[in-house]
Amino acid sequence: MIKTPGDVKTYKKDLKRALSNTFLGATLDAFASAYPASRANAFSGIDFEALAAEIARAKDESIPNLEKLLEEFTVQAQKAGAVVHFARTAFEANSIIASIAEENGVRRIVKGKSMTAEETFLNDHLERSGYEVTETDLGEWIIQMRGEGPSHMVMPAIHLSRREVAELFTKVTGQAQDPDDIGAMVRVARSELRRKFLEADMGISGANFAIAQNGAIGLVTNEGNGRLVTTLPRVHVALVGVDKLVPDVKSAMRILTALPRNATGQLISTYVTWITGAVECKSAPGSRKSMHIVFLDNGRLALAKDPVFSQALRCIRCGACANVCPIYKLVGGHNYGHVYIGAIGLVLTYFYHGRQNARAIVRNCLNCRACKSVCAAGIDLPRLIKEVYGAILEVEGEKPVKNVLLEKTLGNRRLFHFLLRSGSHLQAPVAEGRFLRHLPLIFSEEHQFRRLPALAKVPLRDKWEKINPVTQNPRYKVAFFGGCLTDFVYPEQGQALLDACRDLGVRFEYPMEQTCCGLPALMMGEKETARRVAVQNIKAVDPAEFDYVLTLCASCGSHLKEYVNLLSDEPLLGVKAAQLKDKVIDFSSFMTKVLKIDPSQFLAGGGKTAYHAPCHLCRGQGVREEPRELLAIAGLEYVQTKDEEVCCGFGGSFSLDFPEISAELLKRKLDNVAASGTGALVTDCPGCVLQLKGGMENRGGAIEVKHIAEIVAERRK
Amino acid sequence: MVEQESTAKFAERARSAQTVVVEAKDLAAVFEYAADLTLQQGGQSIAAPGIKGKELAHLSKLCQAKKIELLTGDLRQKADMISTGLTGADWGIAETGTLVVDSKSEDIRLAGMLCDTHVAFLKKSRIVPDAGTIEKELSRMMKTSHGYTAFISGASRTADIERVLTIGVHGPRELHVLILGEDKQ
Repeated sequence: MIKTPGDVKTYKKDLKRALSNTFLGATLDAFASAYPASRANAFSGIDFEALAAEIARAKDESIPNLEKLLEEFTVQAQKAGAVVHFARTAFEANSIIASIAEENGVRRIVKGKSMTAEETFLNDHLERSGYEVTETDLGEWIIQMRGEGPSHMVMPAIHLSRREVAELFTKVTGQAQDPDDIGAMVRVARSELRRKFLEADMGISGANFAIAQNGAIGLVTNEGNGRLVTTLPRVHVALVGVDKLVPDVKSAMRILTALPRNATGQLISTYVTWITGAVECKSAPGSRKSMHIVFLDNGRLALAKDPVFSQALRCIRCGACANVCPIYKLVGGHNYGHVYIGAIGLVLTYFYHGRQNARAIVRNCLNCRACKSVCAAGIDLPRLIKEVYGAILEVEGEKPVKNVLLEKTLGNRRLFHFLLRSGSHLQAPVAEGRFLRHLPLIFSEEHQFRRLPALAKVPLRDKWEKINPVTQNPRYKVAFFGGCLTDFVYPEQGQALLDACRDLGVRFEYPMEQTCCGLPALMMGEKETARRVAVQNIKAVDPAEFDYVLTLCASCGSHLKEYVNLLSDEPLLGVKAAQLKDKVIDFSSFMTKVLKIDPSQFLAGGGKTAYHAPCHLCRGQGVREEPRELLAIAGLEYVQTKDEEVCCGFGGSFSLDFPEISAELLKRKLDNVAASGTGALVTDCPGCVLQLKGGMENRGGAIEVKHIAEIVAERRK
Repeated sequence: MVEQESTAKFAERARSAQTVVVEAKDLAAVFEYAADLTLQQGGQSIAAPGIKGKELAHLSKLCQAKKIELLTGDLRQKADMISTGLTGADWGIAETGTLVVDSKSEDIRLAGMLCDTHVAFLKKSRIVPDAGTIEKELSRMMKTSHGYTAFISGASRTADIERVLTIGVHGPRELHVLILGEDKQ
């Protein structure tokens, strides 16, 4: 039975246990390291972005018409001799399947892998009704015998070691199994399960596709068990979510192009099986299989009408969102989902398995966008996760203290900035240079993994007029969006921007009414507060008055570009949000593409420099080459490090909520940088600087951590 | 030209999924290959439910000579005794190295599922660049009542124990594709 904690305290205990599981850590790390290359290889010659967009478009066209597709499918499938059932709920689906078994005098059932059957806990229901149910996918068979749920949608037993499997198989066969002979263990499964196939009266499968045009279902498998499940027993039941309906063969083939490539880096899975109707089955009466297709609604048809969440139904169940998730990699699927795993699991759990199961896990997201960047259906997973979090807070009506504080302060710029200024004075007794000597009492032991910076004595906004040079006849008029960290913690980064652009014909302005970009509010599920500060910023910075809106903060930049999501329905504000989106620019792009700086403007012979790619720059804004290019132009030797685009673990308030995970991600990041032998590490987000600098300081500060604007300013001639 | 390119790509992609790809000049050569392979692997039988008429007579003679049992139907009753499954393939998809086998007949299905080694023959002229090229034909195959269309790309595999790729979990341990150069139709 799957248990997912409903409270954060218990959940964190589970996370801690997972973090100390060295086998899990090593195996998931090995997988995460191998996956990107094999995925890229599988997609070579295919424009993934275009394919994902095409799948999204086609799915969005089908989703409002699922009922129509279901009707069409039913007519076709019934013509071919299948019986089509419709289950409104999980319980109804299980009951329908149990009665099919009863009507057909079934005793033994073999099952192919089906996430939908996991969703309805079908096995439990059938076993309680007295049937023998055997999972036949190797991974599913293993976890069934262990009484566990899957820890990955495609590789359900990835959390287990060969030793654990050998122990299990020794028990099953009564013969000692050699854990290092995986081939032999697979042969055990082959012979044990072959017997089960031959004895079974009923086979249950899922389906990756249900094609309305011809009433066929499609199954994507590697082991070949799906073929035996649908061939040997005299009864076949396919349990299919209504979201698997596609209009035609073409749509199915399109998804098939993406599914195995994205799931396991295979061009195609070994077997793809298309079944239409009551196929020949010589052990059945009249040599015709008793074929049943049970469609599961379980909230899907209502979800299809939801303006925000309907896109969750685009999911093709490839599991790629887990494959690239830095948190999944640390804690595994049993701690990163309920039945459905990974980013999509955090979203679907709320809909299919309820608030209690979703409320703790849904907080465990860095918003690093790794999932979104590989989603084969272009689902905005990070956004949906925050929407679910917000919805749960709303429904429960009881908010964490920090949410209440945030709501009260962030919505009022004067109050917010007053508090930050006061903080700068109040911290004096505990400040030590640019860091806090010890952490305020609200922090616990677990937050000691990095040193927190002290607030600046004078925020950027208070000295802006003094330091901003007057540019005669500027070529560009640029609004500088500071963001809280540059403004109140690292004003020197703002100074660096001005130094780096000195005499290059740029007139910067710092609109004083600007405030926090609002991303922290959205991260905490406070959509209304996020909307309010978005409006405040759009009032403060009218994009029509500037050529560009530059920010040194990747997170602010990416969030400013997403104001369109928050304000699209509002007259005028929606237009301004769209204009803002087009004008927001990061430092590296501004220097290389707009100012077109060249090496003659910089000192030569700079040292080796590693680069950390902020999530909200490389994935959030698609800026990848420019920072590296900029380093080269500025006379620095860029040294590539491992996992450059993997999150540093900051994630804003995430690092306060889940310090253990944040610490582990930071450790890995800094280990990779240390291994590169560079003297400096630069990045282009003050949030990442906070995390990396604080972590490096804790290790003795051997490598200097800087914002890229600082190092570039230093190199200016 | 297109046919040659597709054939080369099919072979390359199929081989990358551990499929053995061989050219054969005619069906007789395919039978010879299947019989020799069966003996080489210590097998005792060939299931060839799709072979009919003159060709069946030929195969039957060959098996007799080589002391291989030939199974032509009711494979469900012989589930444990199939060494080699010999079937045709309707299409080859070059992009993924995939065989498309119309498997309406239960015995065709079982020959390819329950055997240790699957030998499939495919006419060169039936190799197409990608699935899109035969979308209409695939639609037709599925539209027939009681359709069972199999895409097969390599031997049965799993990576469910520590992600170690292991071949032959439920289905065949080996897949051999024999490409027939001459298309007499």
